[in-house]
Amino acid sequence: MTSIAADPAVALRAEGPSTAWRAWVGVLGVALGLGAFCFAYQWANGLGVTGLSNTVTWGMYIISFMFLVGASAGGLIVVAGSELVGSERFASLNRLAVLVSGAAILTATGTILPDLGRPQMAWKMIVHPHWTSPLMWDMVVILVYLSIAAVDLWILTRPTVSGSALRRMAVITLPVAILVHSVTAWIFGLLVARPFWNTALLAPMFITSALVSGTALVVVIAHVVERTTGVRFGDEHTLGDLGKLIVWFIAVDAFLLGTEILTIYASRVPDHLDQLNVILWGRLAPVFWAEVALGVVVPFLILTRPALRARRAWLLTACSLAIVGVFFKRVNILLSSMFEPLVGLAPGIPGGRPGQAFRPDEIYIPTWVEWGILIGMAGFFFTVVTVGVRRIVLDRAAGAQTRARAAFSRYMRPSAQR
Amino acid sequence: MPDTEVRTDVVTGVPTDRRESRGAKRSPVDALPPASRRYGEIGDRSTKPRWGMAVDIERCVGCWSCAVICKSENDVPLGMWWNRILTRGDDLDRPGEGEHGHLEMEWVPLACQHCDDAPCEKVCPTGATYIDKERLVLVNQDDCIGCRYCMAACPYGVRVFNWGKPKYPVDGGTGMVGARPVGTVEKCTMCVHRIAEDQVPSCVWSCPANARVFGDLDDPDGRLVNLLRSRGATRLLEDKGTRPKVWYLQPRRRRPL
Repeated sequence: MTSIAADPAVALRAEGPSTAWRAWVGVLGVALGLGAFCFAYQWANGLGVTGLSNTVTWGMYIISFMFLVGASAGGLIVVAGSELVGSERFASLNRLAVLVSGAAILTATGTILPDLGRPQMAWKMIVHPHWTSPLMWDMVVILVYLSIAAVDLWILTRPTVSGSALRRMAVITLPVAILVHSVTAWIFGLLVARPFWNTALLAPMFITSALVSGTALVVVIAHVVERTTGVRFGDEHTLGDLGKLIVWFIAVDAFLLGTEILTIYASRVPDHLDQLNVILWGRLAPVFWAEVALGVVVPFLILTRPALRARRAWLLTACSLAIVGVFFKRVNILLSSMFEPLVGLAPGIPGGRPGQAFRPDEIYIPTWVEWGILIGMAGFFFTVVTVGVRRIVLDRAAGAQTRARAAFSRYMRPSAQR
Repeated sequence: MPDTEVRTDVVTGVPTDRRESRGAKRSPVDALPPASRRYGEIGDRSTKPRWGMAVDIERCVGCWSCAVICKSENDVPLGMWWNRILTRGDDLDRPGEGEHGHLEMEWVPLACQHCDDAPCEKVCPTGATYIDKERLVLVNQDDCIGCRYCMAACPYGVRVFNWGKPKYPVDGGTGMVGARPVGTVEKCTMCVHRIAEDQVPSCVWSCPANARVFGDLDDPDGRLVNLLRSRGATRLLEDKGTRPKVWYLQPRRRRPL
């Protein structure tokens, strides 16, 4: 089994200044510039330039945060899970997966900053932390998680990759990767004020969604890296096998969501039901039904068919839709609780800006500033991934060919080592 | 109080004479005529008071006086309210609610409930929201990073955020407390700056129907505790376990409109 293309020249092709490469760097540059501009604009003018209000206090930034922490945890859970049991099936993808996880969690941390009213005061969290706040727990677990991803990446890029070291790391990585997303869920799930969040199922649901989006993201990025650099991850079945995993993740994710909805709908606790109705039939219904159709049904149907799964176009369609579906799910979870405050009597909650009246039926429409910052964040994520692929995935594959070849063959067969 | 003493703003901690645009001025309470001052005095209290309030739904006429004086007293910028009057049984398309031909309509004045078990205080990552020694839930604007977690955690939706530069109907504002920085969360302080001068909160002082009673919940013989004992008093969202210190006295009789 060869994991990396034999010809270093092929692998290094991306380093030549081809038109596509220049265009990609240009796109990343524009995205980063736009994001920086929008962030500066928002910082100077206050969060009033966003579509947020006193009713919908959290929006696209927090949705992206949930999504990115999930995508990050999901990828690493699959990697650490296979490392833990000594499986070699996805070993060729380990570096890429750890890299994508690291990039996603870095970007997630980045999306928190523009959400703060006073980012310049963020150091107050370190100077006098208040430990009953799940936000503090999340900060700690994200820092631990980032360091673990760094150590993992370091081990994976040593000339001789030690299988036992990986397995020992996996013992730490797996619980922390699960914890990082659980704590993110508990930021929401522990609030008595938001019945739709306040369920013990929230953390498990976050984890299953994370597995869907994280694995799908690795498949999509692995495909793009293969196409642009000529590197091959595993054999022709490797990515399709990840698709097989996604089938199970989607199924469990849908099951948990269904259980939650049935519980609310059948027991009809008023506050809880109000918030559920927002996504079932209310203002968020289009997003919810799109989530079910595009994010669950279609990818499930595609990925359960071996013939379709083996074809790259179908595999990528299914994975991309699954990613979009999980993003929509985050939108629904966050906004449904925001749209229906517990004390919802007329005239409602004040909008917060001069000239704004009370908001009985709040609707949230992100402004160009929010989109700009999100594009900047996407640019940041792909910049880290691109640099990482060139420096970590490709360098080892081509630049240090002989060394890496030996390391890889040994790494690929950890059992043969002993 | 002698004029030479440096007075600090209870809410923002800024010395009063350094407050922008208002400069040094005498405390408005000092400036009150003795009769008015006496009218607003808190009176009986225990050694370690636990401040609370009763709002008599039967007396409230929904005039919004308390909401307006709150804005004025606390310099609440345009577009924001710390205190507002909700209407039960009133909607654009529903002028009242009730059964068997008896329409009912009542007002629910709503501001911070100063919960004993405050969800907002628990989730604040920097401890900017804190419970002071007289059990009021307050925000230290200096430590607020503007994450708005407290707004997500508050079941009553009474917190407001400074989305941009505050605008006032009068330049520099009308109030007795300093302006809050952009990007921080603020809310009702139970007029902690007035309590410090032994005066009841503005909303209590200004209510034309005398629907609000302020007092010490730990003073067993006080007027507030007696009132709560003698009238059926309820709290908002009792089932959430937040234990608010604002009580609502329910109407004793219902009249068909």
